Amino acid sequence: MGQKAAGRSLAAVWPARYPAELLWAHGICAGEVWDPPGDVGLTSAHLQSFVCPVVKRGLGLYLSGTLAPVDLFVFPHTCDSLQNLSSLVKDLLREERPCLAWYPPRGSGPQALAYAESQLGSLSRALERVTGPMRDGALEEAVAWGERRDGLLRDLYRSRAEGKLRATATEFYEAVRSCEYLWPEEALARLEAFLRERRAEQPLKEGVPVLLSGVLPAPASLLQWLDGEGIRIAEDDLIACGRRVLREPLESPPDPWAALARRQLAWPPCSTAGSPLRERIAFLRRLVERSGARGVIFLAMKFCEPEGFERPALVEALRAEGVPLLQVESELEPEPPASLVTRIQAFLESIP
Amino acid sequence: MKPWSNLRFAFMRGAGLDWMTRLSSGPRRPPASREPFFGPPLQSRHELRRIMTRHYGLARYVKGVRPVAWVTSGAPVELLRAFGCYTLYPENHSAVCGARRMGPELCEVAEDAGYSLDLCSYAKVDLGHALSGRTPVGRLPPPDLLFCTNNICQTVLYWFKALAHHYRIPLLLVDTPYVHGEPDEAALRYVGDQLKALVPELERITGSDFREERFREVLLSSRRSAALWGDVLSTLQARPTPMTLFDAFVHLAPVVALRGLPVCERYYEGLLRELKERVERGVAAVPGERHRLLWDNIAVWFALQPLSRLFAENGCALVAGTYTHAWAEPAARIDERDPWGSLARAYGLIFLNRDLESRLDLMEQIARDFSVDGLVLHSARSCKPYSLGQYGIQRALEERLGVRSVVLEADMTDFRSWAEAAARTRLMAFIESLEAA
Ligand code: SF4
Ligand code: SF4
Repeated sequence: MGQKAAGRSLAAVWPARYPAELLWAHGICAGEVWDPPGDVGLTSAHLQSFVCPVVKRGLGLYLSGTLAPVDLFVFPHTCDSLQNLSSLVKDLLREERPCLAWYPPRGSGPQALAYAESQLGSLSRALERVTGPMRDGALEEAVAWGERRDGLLRDLYRSRAEGKLRATATEFYEAVRSCEYLWPEEALARLEAFLRERRAEQPLKEGVPVLLSGVLPAPASLLQWLDGEGIRIAEDDLIACGRRVLREPLESPPDPWAALARRQLAWPPCSTAGSPLRERIAFLRRLVERSGARGVIFLAMKFCEPEGFERPALVEALRAEGVPLLQVESELEPEPPASLVTRIQAFLESIP
Repeated sequence: MKPWSNLRFAFMRGAGLDWMTRLSSGPRRPPASREPFFGPPLQSRHELRRIMTRHYGLARYVKGVRPVAWVTSGAPVELLRAFGCYTLYPENHSAVCGARRMGPELCEVAEDAGYSLDLCSYAKVDLGHALSGRTPVGRLPPPDLLFCTNNICQTVLYWFKALAHHYRIPLLLVDTPYVHGEPDEAALRYVGDQLKALVPELERITGSDFREERFREVLLSSRRSAALWGDVLSTLQARPTPMTLFDAFVHLAPVVALRGLPVCERYYEGLLRELKERVERGVAAVPGERHRLLWDNIAVWFALQPLSRLFAENGCALVAGTYTHAWAEPAARIDERDPWGSLARAYGLIFLNRDLESRLDLMEQIARDFSVDGLVLHSARSCKPYSLGQYGIQRALEERLGVRSVVLEADMTDFRSWAEAAARTRLMAFIESLEAA
């Protein structure tokens, strides 16, 4: 509501990767719909039981009417389920507000770059129909915000990997995930304050460092429990978090459109992208090395196709290197089941 | 090694394979007696069996002779044919495994390797085969390259990435953005540009030059095959229908696996002739046909027989389907004078790559063209792209067409959670509602 009072429009954006800067440049605050609380029972007339909880929760939120103040919807075509969801909302539920698509190119090279640029143009034209013409210099400003956010997230991740961050997992992800809904200037201020207050000069040497891989750092109760058990998430390869942090600064061309297009192809390797598995394996190895993680927890989302096809090769590669692993499946239940708690405890004991 | 392989392949492609097949299959058995609610079986099934057996049989001798490519069903295979690749379709192979009831066994191999129970069973059957070598078709040559187009779903990309990693071979991708509403020219340009950019890549991988003339010939052949397949399906508009969709699912194999090759055209010319004759003579696939149904989604391969029986014994003929229809779509779009642009349209705009509004329109059109009075929507447990949205589609189509419908919960190949009795009860209730209408 604060955003509306500040004269901004609101967009509900589904996961995962999209050019947020373009929305900001149009004066639109993006609120990402990953794992909102709510009743998925509402979705049973629209979705089969075999659909992932992210899609179910998102549609549940939509059907509950909570998104009434939103001016438009953006659906990145991250996977088959989200692709279909976009059409379900637009074509079957006959949503009258704009439902805009963003197709993250799976290809690489000049063709993918040209297509990303052309899509940015058409998305911008569609946004203009909602908010009017873009103000001069707005895109440059938004791209600069995006780059600052990347820099801060990189610093946060690096500090955490080096053990120089005084923050529980719950606190860390609250800060990182504030970028999912805050206006960029507010998010930047929050990240800066968090870094200032929590960064330590020397490694703190607290907790057993592990790497968390999967879709989301959720449910919150799981993070709290991990915190309580002395587990320190030192790195993550989560679609919602670490896989949206550009690990190296990107050399940006001066033209903001070109910079934004380039960035759409520069994210870390992901199961939802066209990147070969060997790149993802190399990425994971780097994260494990850099953070000194002594084990990896794969927090698998039930019915998640992209992750499900990639995990076996990752597990095999890490196992071959003797990295202790734990695979657990989640449907975003509010409380971690007792069996999970027992398994994590056993996993911790197996870590040398 | 190579001259010997070449010689062996040439011999097998000549008379060798047919001769061996005849020898191993022994004398042809007299046909099993047909149940009265089925019409006479199609004669073309013998030729179908011959060419598909030959296709898989020859594959055993092709390694080292021609580059072997594993291809997704919706990929523009015409480009590979111009490089002389021998193409195999894991999806088609998974369907064969499903029909031979090997789905669960192969899925379990993949699951033992860490693939979850919930993933696409076509993919798991194939990965199970890649990991174990088990297949009902003897032996498949491992691929030299993988060719993937995500126009049918994004899942094929995950699947093929896993295969590329397993075999340590190149994966060539043609990325086809999903289409909302009207076709987007920028997206089609992106598809066409990727196709063109693959030429040097394929020259490097296959060691052959790109033969443009051959490419155009293949395009023409592909267009003719798709058009013939469309004509074949159109014969099902006749009342009574000369074959059902259950037959069409089986006779679909050549246009999936052999399109762009003369054998495919010849096959459909023969099938079309036979169907036209049946229409002329009023031969019914389901004698006493009372209801005509449209089927949505891929077949339930492991239950083709019981399902076809159940429908036929109740006077229901399945006469149209979205999946079978998809293979006729390229006919109107392929144009050898604009190979790249037209291939981009032919493959980028298939209905599975379009929004649900387009799917609704298409289903409505098909339902009207084929005088359908009921819909069966197969909600395939492990195929999300085809199934997610079906509940809304069902409601919308019931309203638009004023017909009855049923959602059948099943899967393409994995029958571990298939409840046949429950499915039967549900379908019987649906058929009774048709009778009452
Ligand atoms: S959890 Fe997986 S299947 Fe679900 S929306 Fe995210 S990427 Fe798609
Ligand atoms: S998800 Fe569906 S469309 Fe995709 S490969 Fe599997 S069965 Fe085919």
